[in-house]
Amino acid sequence: MLEVKDLMVFYENAIAINNINLTCRQGGVTGIFGANSAGKSTLMYTISGIILDVKKKEEMKGGERITVLGRISFEGVDITHMKPSERAKKGIVLCPERRRIFPESSTLENLKIGGYLATKAQAKETMDYVFTIFPQLKNLKKREGGFLSGGEQQMLAIGRALMAQPKLLLLDEPLLGLSPLMEAMLARAIHEINLQTKITILISEQYARPILPIVHYGYVLENGGAVLEGTSRELMENPDVKSAYFGL
Amino acid sequence: MPNEQLTSRERRRERLDRGIKVRTEGLYALSSWKEMFYLLAPRIVLILGLLVAPFLLDMYWQRVLCAAGIYALLALSFDFLAAYVGLVCLGGSFFIGSGAYISGLLNAKMGWAPFLTIPIATVVGAIVSTLVLLPCLRLRGIYFAITSFMFPLLTVNVIIALNIFGGTEGISALATYPNPWVDQYLILSVVIVSLFTLRRLVNEDMGLILRSIKDNDQAVKASGISILSYKIKAVFIASLIGCFGGAYLSHLYGWVGISQFSLDFSILPIAATVMGGMGTLVGPVIGALILTPLSEALRGFGQLRVVLYCLILIGFIVYKPEGLMNYLQRKYHQFEHWEDV
Repeated sequence: MLEVKDLMVFYENAIAINNINLTCRQGGVTGIFGANSAGKSTLMYTISGIILDVKKKEEMKGGERITVLGRISFEGVDITHMKPSERAKKGIVLCPERRRIFPESSTLENLKIGGYLATKAQAKETMDYVFTIFPQLKNLKKREGGFLSGGEQQMLAIGRALMAQPKLLLLDEPLLGLSPLMEAMLARAIHEINLQTKITILISEQYARPILPIVHYGYVLENGGAVLEGTSRELMENPDVKSAYFGL
Repeated sequence: MPNEQLTSRERRRERLDRGIKVRTEGLYALSSWKEMFYLLAPRIVLILGLLVAPFLLDMYWQRVLCAAGIYALLALSFDFLAAYVGLVCLGGSFFIGSGAYISGLLNAKMGWAPFLTIPIATVVGAIVSTLVLLPCLRLRGIYFAITSFMFPLLTVNVIIALNIFGGTEGISALATYPNPWVDQYLILSVVIVSLFTLRRLVNEDMGLILRSIKDNDQAVKASGISILSYKIKAVFIASLIGCFGGAYLSHLYGWVGISQFSLDFSILPIAATVMGGMGTLVGPVIGALILTPLSEALRGFGQLRVVLYCLILIGFIVYKPEGLMNYLQRKYHQFEHWEDV
C-alpha cells in the first residue's frame, strides 16, 4: 500500500534518515521503533509531506536546508513531491506527535475540524464510532481541548485523525507521556480500530512494550537507519530488541 | 555504498563553513594577518564607508545622510528591543519626540547650548520614555506593540489640546550646529558607537538574559531573575538611542514641532529592520541607510513614491524575509557545492 524506497533526509549537513526502505501492507499495523533522534518523527513528517512545508518555511527564512531524496509511493502512485494537503485527500492522515489538538476549540469542534474532508454522512458515522471506541470523550464534548488531560487529548487526536477518513493512519508517538494504564488502553483501542475499520496503521513509538504485541511488522531505527526489521514475533525474540526495548 | 546506480544520480547542495571562518573563531583569529583581515574587513568597510560618505555627497544629500543616521538609530533601538528582548515597540516616534522637545525647551527657555542640551535631553528623555512605557512592560507581543504605538498619538493631542510647548506651531529658532561637518560626524559617530556597543552588550551576560526573556520568560523567572528590571534596563538603553536621535534632530533643523511625533519615525525603522534582517543589529542600520535615500530619490515620482516603496518592502518580506544582512553573512561565511549522495 505504502512503499518507501531509498529515503534519505538531510537537515543541512546532518543526516536524519539514511536509506530507509519500508512497506506498509494493506490493512496491517506497521511499527517503527527507535530512541530519540533515531528519525521516527522525521520519517512520519516525510510520509505525510509536512516536511515539504517545513522545508519551504526554512528556505524562506534562510535557515536550515532540508533535502529529501528517494521515492514514496502510495497505492502505486508516486507521491514524493505531493503537497501534504493533497496527501491527506488521498488518505494519508497524520496524528502528530504531542497531539497538537486545537486548545481553544471544544472536543466536538476538534472532531468537526478533522472531518473537513469527509461527507456529512461519513462524518456523522465516524463521530459515532469515535465515541464508541473512546466513551470517555462523550462526557467531555463541550470541554475545551486545552483543558483535557494528556490521555483524553491523545484520544481526541486519534479521533480527529479518524474523522479525516484515512486509508493510512500515521500515529506519531501516541503513547508519549501517558500512564501505563492509559498506554494499555490506547494500544487496545488502536488494535480495535485496525480490526474493525481495516485502516492501515503506521505507528512510531519509543517504548515498544505496549505496542509490539499489536504490530504485524516492525522496523527498528537507529541514527536514521533501519537496523532491524521483522514480524512482531521475530522482533520480540530478538536478543538486541529484548535488551534495548524490554530491559531484559 | 549499496545501490550504486540509483545513488550516483542523486545530488544535494551542501553548505559548508569556510575553513577560515572555522579557524578564526576564538583567540586563534590573531594568529595571522589574513585571518585578522577576514574578521575585520566587513567592519572596516562599514566604518570607513560611513566616515568617508560626507566627502562624496553634495549639500542636499548630506542632509539626507543626517536623516538616515537618525532613522538608523531608531532602527537599531527597534531591532534591539524586538529581536533581543521580544518587545515590539512601535513607539519610535515617542523617543524622537521626547528627546526633541526636551532639548528644544532647554535651548529656547534656558538658552543652553546644544552640547549641553543634547546629553541632558538624551538621558532625561530616556527616563521619561521608560517611565511612560513602564506600566506596559508586563504586556507581551501585539499588546505591547499597540500600547506603545498609542503614546506618540496621545502626546501630540495633549500638546495640541493644552497648547503647551508652542502648540501646533512648535518651537523655532533653536541653536543649530556650527557647520555641516559637525552635523554629520556627530550622528555618524553615534551610530557607529551605539551599533558596536549594542553588539557587545547582546553577547554579554545581560544579552543572554534578555534573549532568554524573549524565548521563555517563565524559565527566566524560575531562575530567580527579575524580568521586569531587565526589561526596564533594555527599554532605557533603547530609548537612550532614540532620544539622542530626537535631541540631535531638534538642533539639526533648529525647530521642534508635533511632526516629530509623526508615524514616519515609528514605521520606517521597522521597514529598515525587515529589509536589513532582524536580529543582526547592523542590518537595520544598513537598511535605514538604503531606505532613507531611496525614499528621497523617489520623491520625483510624487504620490507613486509610496507605491514603489511599498513594492520594495513587500518584495523583501515575500522573497527574502531573512533580510539582506543574514543573506550576506551566510554568503561570506559559507560556500555551497553539489555533492553526490
